[in-house]
Amino acid sequence: MDIEEIRKKVEEGLASIKGYEDLERVRATLTGRKGIISEAIDRIKTLDKDKRREYGREINAIKERVEAKLRELKAFYEDERRRAEEGVSKIDITMPGKTPIMGKRHPITQTLDEMVDIFSFLGFTVAEGPEIESEYYNFEALNIPKDHPARDMQDTFYIKDGLVLRTHTSPVQIRVMESMLPPIKIIAPGRVYRCDSDVSHTPMFHQVEGLVVDKHIRFSDLKGIITIFVHEIFDEGTPLRFRPSYFPFTEPSAEVDIGCVICNGKGCRVCKDTGWLEIIGSGMVHPQVFRNVGYNPEEVTGFAFGVGVERIAMIKFGIDDIRQFYYNDIRFLSQF
Amino acid sequence: MTANELSSRLTMRGIEVEAIEEIRPSFDGVVAAEVISVDVHPLLTNLYVCMVDTGKEVYKVVCGAKNVSPNRIVALAIKGARLADGTMIDKREIGGVTSEGMLCSERELGLTDDHSGIFILPEEIKKGTLLNAVEPFNDHVLDINVPPNRGDCLSIYGIAREVGSIVGERPTIPSFEEEVQDMEIDRLIDLNVIDEEACPRYVLRMLKGVTICPSPYLIRERLIKCGMRPINSIVDVTNYVMLEFGQPLHAFDYHRLEGRRIEVRLASSEIRFRTLDGVDRVIAGNDLLICDGNGPVAVAGIMGGENSEITEKTRDVALESAYFNPLFIRKTARRLGIRSEASLRFEKGIDIERVDIAARRAIELMKAISGGTIVKGKKEIWKKREPKRIFVSYNKINTILGVAIDPEDAVNALNSIDIEVEKEQEDGLSCSVPLFRHDIEEYIDLIEEIARIYGFEHIYPTTPSSTAITSKRAKNIRFYTTLKEYFKAAGFFEAINFAFLSQQDLDNLRIASSHPLASSVAIINPISKDYGLMRTLIAASVLKNIAYNLNRGQKNLRIYETGKVFIAKDKGVIEYPSVFFAMTGKEREYFWKGPVPEYDFFDIKGILEGLFASFNIGFSLKRDEIPFLNNSSSAEVIVNDKGIGWIGEVREDVLRLYGIEQKVYCAEIRFDIMMEMGVMVPKYRPIPRYPQVIRDFSFYIDDDIPISTVIDRIKKVSPLIVDVGVFDMFKREKRSVSFRVVFQSFEDTLKDETINALQDIIIRELTGIKGIKLRT
Repeated sequence: MDIEEIRKKVEEGLASIKGYEDLERVRATLTGRKGIISEAIDRIKTLDKDKRREYGREINAIKERVEAKLRELKAFYEDERRRAEEGVSKIDITMPGKTPIMGKRHPITQTLDEMVDIFSFLGFTVAEGPEIESEYYNFEALNIPKDHPARDMQDTFYIKDGLVLRTHTSPVQIRVMESMLPPIKIIAPGRVYRCDSDVSHTPMFHQVEGLVVDKHIRFSDLKGIITIFVHEIFDEGTPLRFRPSYFPFTEPSAEVDIGCVICNGKGCRVCKDTGWLEIIGSGMVHPQVFRNVGYNPEEVTGFAFGVGVERIAMIKFGIDDIRQFYYNDIRFLSQF
Repeated sequence: MTANELSSRLTMRGIEVEAIEEIRPSFDGVVAAEVISVDVHPLLTNLYVCMVDTGKEVYKVVCGAKNVSPNRIVALAIKGARLADGTMIDKREIGGVTSEGMLCSERELGLTDDHSGIFILPEEIKKGTLLNAVEPFNDHVLDINVPPNRGDCLSIYGIAREVGSIVGERPTIPSFEEEVQDMEIDRLIDLNVIDEEACPRYVLRMLKGVTICPSPYLIRERLIKCGMRPINSIVDVTNYVMLEFGQPLHAFDYHRLEGRRIEVRLASSEIRFRTLDGVDRVIAGNDLLICDGNGPVAVAGIMGGENSEITEKTRDVALESAYFNPLFIRKTARRLGIRSEASLRFEKGIDIERVDIAARRAIELMKAISGGTIVKGKKEIWKKREPKRIFVSYNKINTILGVAIDPEDAVNALNSIDIEVEKEQEDGLSCSVPLFRHDIEEYIDLIEEIARIYGFEHIYPTTPSSTAITSKRAKNIRFYTTLKEYFKAAGFFEAINFAFLSQQDLDNLRIASSHPLASSVAIINPISKDYGLMRTLIAASVLKNIAYNLNRGQKNLRIYETGKVFIAKDKGVIEYPSVFFAMTGKEREYFWKGPVPEYDFFDIKGILEGLFASFNIGFSLKRDEIPFLNNSSSAEVIVNDKGIGWIGEVREDVLRLYGIEQKVYCAEIRFDIMMEMGVMVPKYRPIPRYPQVIRDFSFYIDDDIPISTVIDRIKKVSPLIVDVGVFDMFKREKRSVSFRVVFQSFEDTLKDETINALQDIIIRELTGIKGIKLRT
């Protein structure tokens, strides 16, 4: 068979492939051991030496084309068969998926952790103290003597023998100052208790106390730290104001208000038409508090502040009833 | 200045205006008119025909009130006017006379409940005035939250002083005539103050021949706006002047004072005494009393006695104005549980300098309203004190505040609130602090006053130049973070409950009084019986959360809580953090691919295993009876031979008490101990380079052999055994358990012979135990 004849047979053979099952038959007749191409290769040695080279090259080219074509067809028919098979077991992808069971941290914890993060970033260390506290640490050491009207500011839960449920995280200030010398830069997050219960009060709630003591700590520094905190926990542009107030253990004392986020300061029910929301109590540490822990107020000054965690969370999440935090309703907890 | 402006400026001065109440009249179109003439109605003789003049026009009005008389200014409602109850006024015929309108009572205008006659308007209101637009009908009430240390602001005068400081003026007080030296009063009453420490100043003044009547409208309405109840023309004045000057006053019926004397002394023993609210009080030793010749007539500074109070019959009045020591008043008021307007002011300290001024003001006002004659002179005891002198240095002012304040500004600030700067020195200010400022004791108090008046808004924020480098993360925080991350990943919702418990909870949980968990700390003044104890375990709180959620259709729950629990020990209290977790229902209500199993013990145990693994702590369970757990699975959680918690299924009868009708599995662990033992930085172990080999074994194992001991036995066979798991368990006649054992060498590829030899040892070891047989 001359080259042309082989080429013709090959094309005829390839053209006769109509499906996967034809592949093997055609492969055998073309490149199989007794196929046309194999026979043609066997004939090479019977040719004249000068023709051999030319003939061999032609045959090889044909062989390569056949092999490539067969590979291509094989892949094509295999793919076709796979798709046909898979089509039979096609699933309804619109059926519901299996959602993982996800837990949630309580919104108070989330808020508290964020606050701790911000203060940690500002270089504060976390300190802790007991929740059942002595009257001395909760009151006297903080310049709230017995029979002082300031005791009425906080409705206290009393336990026997001069013990109370701490009404604020401020006793931690005293414990820290008693245990070390300045400079001090701490926060004390934790649970506190007051004998009060309504839409805006729960008998237990959370606070983050802050204390900075060193030489040359100024009221302006307090304003600076609080401003950074407020702009971190809320938005950069949140307006805030420092308003004179009274706490027995700080002087001067300042209440910090932020522009009401509900009405943007226009006045609404939440801010009682003032346009402001009270969020932080703060002030310069009272010299008497320093004397109580054996510091010399002529040598060091400091500031302290207390932030209500529920209050921050309520403002952040738009919750209008503090008691929601404590029902532990899954439909509530799953929202945060 | 508008009410809003004033409020915000006061607030920024530390005198916080909490709310502005707008007073708006509920009537409309009512005009002030002068009565010109009053004639009896021609037909109806119980009525009058009055001519009233608004200045523009004269109206004829029929009126039935007895108190209508010429020259009085009254409230006239003419055609088109509306009364408080919505009635529209029009002309109408009354007994043949056309009435062009009506003269209104206070009740008809919605002002008070008084309907005894027509409303005689205050003198200040001129005829022709449309009443809607003027005070006191159109007004603002500022609700001020006076800081606890600022007793001096518990009066109109005190607030006026602050307002004066804002606007650069001084408030004035009424001036009185020069007092005559004739001490007429000496002949009428004796005064004796026995305890001058408790009562450093006491003034008595008298008014004779009064006629008790209702107070004029202006006094009554101001009392009402300030939240007080008008009573009569004498008592109202004592309250009115108290609101004006912050000086509580008390009026006695002179003729009811036995022996015509007043004695101020401490009670020497316990006695009973009826206060004017009709309550019998038990007076204890050291309560300060006002007594007559017979015994107590008032609890000093707190409340007067029924035996000497002003009545309609009172003719002569003895008025007390005094300064009582705040500590005494506070102690007695607290013990008696009385918080009167008077005690509130005495407790915080009043102005000892103005005691007599208030008395004179009150006596004159009483005379103006109730008539009578003022008895000349006064009885007075006064132990005088010097004002406090305090020095504050400029350096302190500037370093505390972080702003350089001009000395002149500082002086002006102090002067504006009546703190006298006696001397401006090179380095600071010597100040004389008036006695009404009980809150100012040292330099820092003056700095606060300067800052407050200078304005906090003028102090610019800085950041501390502190060298504090104590910052270091608390170790505990890492444990808590791990804990919370673990439970979040394990699909648990975090609950936070009040750390309280009730005796009922302890009873519900079958915790006997001898059990360690019953050793709770009681709250002396709990908010309710449900919150009477500090919790000794978290379980009760979360069981209630579960019930709450089940009642709201949430049937599948995984909840955990961490927080402190409190145990009474010896005389003290131990508090430590605990972690509690519970599961009920199933992973999800349904999944269309197949059934979803209900949670069982091994679900909660799995959570416990994962928790301990998170902290790299090993633990075991030991069967134990826990009062509220089902005995079939309840166990103590053991770490290093020490019980640190419990796990199990809550007893059905306990659950029923909480209204829970499905199974609840839970565990509670001492988190303080976990934190002590936890390893937060695990040590790296190389990943083996050689393949592992797996072999399965099945045995019949008697029920009384704990599987954990069998697993331990297999592990002990060779260090090449790196894991033993249970992959099947079923029971027909005997319990069949299948183990999967993983062999692993870190040195080479394990040969079949080695594994086979180990396999033989495992089988020999186990079958050597009584009650275990190989299943073939």
